[in-house]
Amino acid sequence: MLGAALRSIAEEMGAVLIRSSFSANIKERRDCSTALFDEHGRMIAQAEHIPVHLGAMPDAVAAVMRLGLEAGQVAILNDPYTGGTHLPDVTLVSRTALGFAVSRAHHADVGGIEPASLPAFSHTLEEEGVILPPQLLTDEVLERFVEATRQPEERRGDLRAQLSAHRLADRRLEALCERRGRDLVAAAMDELYAYSERMVRASIAALPDGRSEAEDVVEAVDGDVPIRCTVEIAGDEIRIDFTGTAPQYDGNLNCPLAVTKSACYFVVRCLTEPDLPASGGAFAPVAVAAPAGCLVNAQAPAAVVAGNTETSSRIVDVVFAAFAQLVPVPAAGQGTMNNLAFGNDRFTYYETIGGGQGACPDAGGPSGVHVAMSNTLATPAEAIELEYPLRVERWELRPGSGGAGKHRGGDGVVRELRVLEDCRLSVLAERRRHAPPGRGGGEGGAPGRTLVNGEEQPPKLTRQLQPGDIVRVETPGGGGHGVEK
Amino acid sequence: MPVQSTDVAILGVDVGGTFTDAVLVEEGRIRTAKVPTARRQEESVLAAARAVAADTVDLERFAHGTTVATNALLERRGARTAYVGNAGFEHLLHLRRQTRAHLYRLCAEHPEPLVPLERCFGVRGRLGPEGELEPLELDSLPDLDGAEAVAVCLLFAFRDPSHERVLAAELRRRHPGVHVVASHELAPEFREYERASTTAADAYLAPVTVGYLRALVAAAAEARLPEPVVMLSSGGVLPAGEAAEHPARLLISGPAGGVVGAGLVARSAGFEHAIAFDMGGTSTDVCLLPDGRAERVSEREVGGLPIRVPSVDVHTVGAGGGSLVRRDAGGALRVGPESAGADPGPACYGRRGGPTVTDANLLLGRLPRELPGGLVLDGEAAAAALAGIDPAAVVEVVNAEMLRALRVVSVERGHDPRDFALVAYGGAGPLHACALAEELGIEAVLVPAAAGVLSALGLAAGDERRDRVVSHVRPLREMRELPSDGEADLRYRGQSFELTVPLGGDLEARFHRAHEERYGYADREREIELVAVRTAEVVRGPAVELPGGEGRRSSGPALVELEGSTLWIPPGWEGVRDGFSWVVTRE
Repeated sequence: MLGAALRSIAEEMGAVLIRSSFSANIKERRDCSTALFDEHGRMIAQAEHIPVHLGAMPDAVAAVMRLGLEAGQVAILNDPYTGGTHLPDVTLVSRTALGFAVSRAHHADVGGIEPASLPAFSHTLEEEGVILPPQLLTDEVLERFVEATRQPEERRGDLRAQLSAHRLADRRLEALCERRGRDLVAAAMDELYAYSERMVRASIAALPDGRSEAEDVVEAVDGDVPIRCTVEIAGDEIRIDFTGTAPQYDGNLNCPLAVTKSACYFVVRCLTEPDLPASGGAFAPVAVAAPAGCLVNAQAPAAVVAGNTETSSRIVDVVFAAFAQLVPVPAAGQGTMNNLAFGNDRFTYYETIGGGQGACPDAGGPSGVHVAMSNTLATPAEAIELEYPLRVERWELRPGSGGAGKHRGGDGVVRELRVLEDCRLSVLAERRRHAPPGRGGGEGGAPGRTLVNGEEQPPKLTRQLQPGDIVRVETPGGGGHGVEK
Repeated sequence: MPVQSTDVAILGVDVGGTFTDAVLVEEGRIRTAKVPTARRQEESVLAAARAVAADTVDLERFAHGTTVATNALLERRGARTAYVGNAGFEHLLHLRRQTRAHLYRLCAEHPEPLVPLERCFGVRGRLGPEGELEPLELDSLPDLDGAEAVAVCLLFAFRDPSHERVLAAELRRRHPGVHVVASHELAPEFREYERASTTAADAYLAPVTVGYLRALVAAAAEARLPEPVVMLSSGGVLPAGEAAEHPARLLISGPAGGVVGAGLVARSAGFEHAIAFDMGGTSTDVCLLPDGRAERVSEREVGGLPIRVPSVDVHTVGAGGGSLVRRDAGGALRVGPESAGADPGPACYGRRGGPTVTDANLLLGRLPRELPGGLVLDGEAAAAALAGIDPAAVVEVVNAEMLRALRVVSVERGHDPRDFALVAYGGAGPLHACALAEELGIEAVLVPAAAGVLSALGLAAGDERRDRVVSHVRPLREMRELPSDGEADLRYRGQSFELTVPLGGDLEARFHRAHEERYGYADREREIELVAVRTAEVVRGPAVELPGGEGRRSSGPALVELEGSTLWIPPGWEGVRDGFSWVVTRE
């Protein structure tokens, strides 16, 4: 009964944040997560909107615990190397009556060299925006941060929405402790954590033991960068090791280890207990290792903005591919979030676009959906056109882009946006040079394409646009599964 | 509130999955009946009406709650439907909002859209936020591939319906026998996918619903009953002919009747604020009634599809008395969403059903050994099915689900449940209500004597109601005249979600206050945007005089057998039969 109460607090926090925020990223796309942690910094309940925040929140709480927060105080951070993911994801952590409340939301802009803070060609973290190491959120810190961004008013509104979610968690937890007793609530937290761990261990134990490897690449500006992993199932534990992956790189495809862990946890969730309510216990039986300084365990001050969205997608693919030799897994999905950002001094607009899901051993892949580490909503064309100098010209399925097979991969989509005033465009996308592979004899999906006024573009780009220019994105199809009869 | 007396009789007939209930109220007397639901719903409606001898009295109103539209949607038995959108947006119903159905079950599919891809068409022509961008080209309209119904949804029709009007008129001209619905006729609201989904459902359900309601009207005339009025999702009723125009408005007809009934019961017992708690066999509906009237929402999901029409704000969870009990791999006790249904039913029915919440209640001594229909409950079968699972733990787990639902509609919406009475009905509601009230700090539980057929009573009492919405999405300060009665959907400019506040008086101040209550802050500097104005034309329903009852008193632990339900009064609680209802309070 208490478990349900704790979960509903986390969910209610999420609802308040989404409904009262201003960034399209949060309010329309729901690119945010909220969670409750216990006194020991263990994640107890999370309102899950997108998986990329799964493994990355505990590091944020660990970082804030070192600050020695008092009841009612709130800390802020976005530094990927001390508990963050990428800079636009701004995390608040507050001390509650029992443990911590956490909210993480993707803000539309946090400064840096390009509007929307998603530069295609950043080389250091600094170029991607304001860096907030874990610190107490005072009025002064808040003002300094919002003034360093392109839309201070909107940032202030979003932070207020986050803060109101924290106040709510505070009130609810206090009431719960008052009614049921602090010890009982603490015991319920322990049990929620232990329960998830038991479930996942039982589920892993039912998989065959074994060890296998896989390799795939991300598409950097000047060539492909390999990611290699070894997975091992041993009893009721899983080990995932990225030894052999390329060193971190002078671009922004790098991942801090927290993001890499999120991607690994996502795969384990899919393979073990997809319906289990999220709690940190689910990941206790999973060990993730990567050499310091490699692409998936990057060290400061490497740039990371595409790591969170793009490299994380590829980590999912490569971990699934390694497991494929041991257990049945789906074919690769579109493997990218197709990040698209427009902006000038007056506005910033950011979206990610769905594509084909890879087919499963027993079912076709859904079409036109977010795969793997994202699950954000599409912003309605009517909302875009009412608010931004943009027009949506086309949004439709891309028939035939899913890979053939006994079960077909899902189709990608075609999305065309026309800009109505001078602005910058940034695109971060993957699976442009290499198709999402099929599995078990199934064919690969069609690779994606990005076009500006009909001219094909590289996977990553930043450029100026004039009024009337049309950006067309054709997202990749998912791989097929099994041999087509 | 005093209840006016009425000289004429009113009849409510509510069709459920297993039974069709009838309630006849006449001069302060009430007759109820339950008949099995037949495949042709109009036959069970008439049979239920005859069972309360409705054909022998002078009826002022014959009200009806129907599941015809809901079943056709859930079972995908609607018309062969086509969809027409803007060229380039043909696939909108299939793209939805691009989220996948399940975060970790990667190939889980959303419910199949009501219109297959091959009947989704585009027409050239485009409106933008400020008017026409490209003229409508009717020549670009393709053949409709033998469709029986067509849904039309064009971008920005919520603001400027001119293209939709011309297009719908052309479709009606070209295909005279085909049912055509344009989005602005039904749901002229912002956000194209939700509007398109609502319009598609409306078109898809129209032929089936129109056919059913026509048959019902004819059968009623033959039986010398008045033309039925039909309960809408909004909690209001409309004459059958008018209700048939937009079946998307009928999708929660039955639960809406229950909520109206709960309001009636609360008011007649003198309670101002109530929470309706309807726990049936497979699911439970809860709804908040501040001031005795249901809260309304402008959108809800039915069968996984967003439906944007006014609905009473009923929150549904998939657990009820018939929910099956099991232990999962981690050792946790789970209840539902699978249900034993009516057949085989709970294990104690003696038909080899699995362990259910009802079995746990029986073992705890909260059910009689024999149900009113004559069914003897088999305690040994119940114990064997539960196989050592503690029945008190089963009730605790299902109560946790119920509590969560009750919190969603109260605490999470800024209301303190302690200010409300809990109106418990449905087969299992009165069994669990006191324990839930205890947890929420609620003082009084109200259980109507006719707890098993309350929805049918609510139908009979519903107001006649015509809702209207006008979308603006403009700064509030630019608006000159607004109606004084109704509601406005407002937000700070830049937000995506609206708060609904009553019209009249200082709207700005009212919005800031509502925002502060709901989200903990207000920003008085920020511009307010008016998204929509909602008004309703309401004709009050008949005043219903609820019959009284013998004064009785019962101290817990005690069982009180009611019509179609059992009331469990736990130790420390006391029940008093006061008029039509039992009022149960802590001693």
